[in-house]
Amino acid sequence: MRYPVTTRERLWALVLGPLLVCILIYVVALLLPAVPRGETVSFGEIMGAMFMSFVRVFVAYALAVAAAIPLALLVEVNPTVESLLLPVFDVLESVPNLAVLPILVIFFLQFGFLDGAAIAILFLGMVWNLVFALVGGLKVIPRDVAWAAKLFGLAGYDYVKKFTLPAIFPQFVTGSILAVASGWNIIIVAEALHVYVPGGKIGQDLFGIGSVLVQTSAAGHTGAYMAAFGVLIGSIAFLNLFVWQKLLHYAQRFRFD
Amino acid sequence: MSAAIEFRNVGKRYLGEAYAVLRDVSFAIEEGEFVCIIGPSGCGKTTVLKLIAGLDAPTIGKVRKPKSVSMSFQSGALFPWLTVSENVALGLRARKMPDLEVAHHVEAQLRAVDMLHFHAKFPADLSGGQRQRVGIARALAVEPSALLLDEPFSALDPKTTAELHRDLLSIWHARRMTIVMVSHLIEEAVGLADRVILMREGRIDAEFPIALPHPRHEQGEAFMREVQQIRRKFFT
Repeated sequence: MRYPVTTRERLWALVLGPLLVCILIYVVALLLPAVPRGETVSFGEIMGAMFMSFVRVFVAYALAVAAAIPLALLVEVNPTVESLLLPVFDVLESVPNLAVLPILVIFFLQFGFLDGAAIAILFLGMVWNLVFALVGGLKVIPRDVAWAAKLFGLAGYDYVKKFTLPAIFPQFVTGSILAVASGWNIIIVAEALHVYVPGGKIGQDLFGIGSVLVQTSAAGHTGAYMAAFGVLIGSIAFLNLFVWQKLLHYAQRFRFD
Repeated sequence: MSAAIEFRNVGKRYLGEAYAVLRDVSFAIEEGEFVCIIGPSGCGKTTVLKLIAGLDAPTIGKVRKPKSVSMSFQSGALFPWLTVSENVALGLRARKMPDLEVAHHVEAQLRAVDMLHFHAKFPADLSGGQRQRVGIARALAVEPSALLLDEPFSALDPKTTAELHRDLLSIWHARRMTIVMVSHLIEEAVGLADRVILMREGRIDAEFPIALPHPRHEQGEAFMREVQQIRRKFFT
């Protein structure tokens, strides 16, 4: 499979294609007599919810980047550190994130800051995608280019800033795409938190696209659900088209032959 | 003349490896000398360059390194995200040289390797030979007392290789720096160097001084005699 190249291909792959799927799902949902209809969430509220979710995903992504870069660089310190850290990362990565969510909810509930639980679970879902992508990137840096960097005077912070980080930029972009995609998956659960609060009520859910999807679905408000679903898909497609695709293209310049 | 580079009973074994890469290696290279190290793959040629460059330390023995050293690699080893000019400026910027001086040096080096027209290109836009020229320009830009070349021409076509041989010799004659080149081609070594060092299984197997005037390929019989002499030793 190749990435869409022309504008028409990109439009189909990222906007029109997903939109067509949404319309089809909507039509099917309307045709199902068992699904009751009713609109309780305005379009403005859905857009606001999308914005709030985006902020949570972005904050979690920023934290994941801040954690993943030093963790990946640590692996490259020397072979002994690598042999100690990689198995630890493997174990941590394989722990199901959502299993930790009740603990996070109870922890952040004490401070009345449930956004913290959502961001923390998003962070856990993202960070290992980035760490392993970056470690993979560090492993494919050609030995002679790394020698050249050292030989021509790059050392310490300069070596990391001017050599290592640009050298792993392509893997950083692909890792980021996977991380943020994982975030959009988790957001649905991360915002409908009342399920995890002891004696929780629906009002304790965080306002966001995930909780709107869960609540409209539970209430059988198919139209609102489909609108929220469309906004989510559209936003993800927008991000793909105008951020990730451009970054992927730009990252080509950083690839070693 | 004094030794610019000297190895005294040098051994090198990497962590976790059963065998030493270098064993009891001793040699001296005079200032301004052009030495070529040849030998089969895995005999320790590149390790010798790494030790001279200070990229690695010997496990045993002593290495006298040159005052300042620079290196050009087989692939060019350019940073793909930097333009030709920025790659050549790398070592100069690391030395905190003022921008104007950097620009002046970069221009001079790119002109020396006939790559000035490509100053704004990225490595991906260049051919193998052009990358090699930029790699040499980058190495020369820091004005080293010794230039190390790690199989710089092995991936190039014969025409480009011949051009680069000619350019390298003219740069060497102009600057009289010490050059240590690793190669696996006997003809190339005899064509360029003052002395050829043959390595085998981590040891110095033999040394061959080459006294022919340049250009040596035009020396016909004398050139072939030197090549045959090394070839006989190489294949025994």
